[in-house]
Amino acid sequence: MNATLVLGLAVLVIGVLGVAFVRPKTYVARLINLEIPAWGLLLVMLAYDEALALLTFVAVTAISTFVIVRLMEWRDASC
Amino acid sequence: MIPDYSIGLLVAFAAAGTAFFALMRETDGLHRLLLTDLVEVVTLAFIALVGTDLAEALILPGLVVGVSELIALSEIYRVKEGYVRPPAAGLQIEVMESAPGILAAILVVYGIILSGFSGGAVAGLGVIFYFLSRSHNERFELIETASGYSWVLWIVAFFVFMLLPQHWFFAVMLAGAAILVKVMAKMSLIGTMRGGPNA
Repeated sequence: MNATLVLGLAVLVIGVLGVAFVRPKTYVARLINLEIPAWGLLLVMLAYDEALALLTFVAVTAISTFVIVRLMEWRDASC
Repeated sequence: MIPDYSIGLLVAFAAAGTAFFALMRETDGLHRLLLTDLVEVVTLAFIALVGTDLAEALILPGLVVGVSELIALSEIYRVKEGYVRPPAAGLQIEVMESAPGILAAILVVYGIILSGFSGGAVAGLGVIFYFLSRSHNERFELIETASGYSWVLWIVAFFVFMLLPQHWFFAVMLAGAAILVKVMAKMSLIGTMRGGPNA
């Protein structure tokens, strides 16, 4: 088995556990932990040479983080 | 010896099960939105494990649909919870003014290099990002007109494939450029959903 694939799958599982059972349970902590499974997925994609999918995933993650942070800003302003 | 694919599939199933379990236990709306993002990442791993060009072709539309869904859900959540007061302008530093333009330009240029559906998606994300960061007083009829004409070019490219198959390369280039403009125009409209009075 490819070392990159093993590492990617391990990071994916660790990241999923980190996001699912996050402590302290705040939005920001969960958002930051979301980066870990994303790294796992990137390593899995890297193991199979899926360059296009990898780069597009990076671009999409930048936007989704931006969208969620913006939602948190609206929440802080209104509460 | 167990093949890589089976091991990966087992691991991904375990991860997806954990993610869905957490989603089931969660009651808070914004936490659920974050967990939806997690489920998306884990389920993309299933497709990535296939490891062929087919996987890549399936991941790209999945990513585009995923980000559109996230933007739409965040808007629905914001309206439902009644967050009507816009956030106060936080950091007044120079980089917050110039960064959106530069990031958007990088995404658009990379999208044009990619061309085709994924290129349109990446370039569209750049335009979304720009519109989300700045005010939008653009002329949307113009974007819609460009989108309509590029759709026509896409259809023309398919007719070239069928009627003049010897000019296939021209048709590929035409279809790639047309779908780039089409997807980019449609995605850029999402960037204007900012909950303002004219949204």
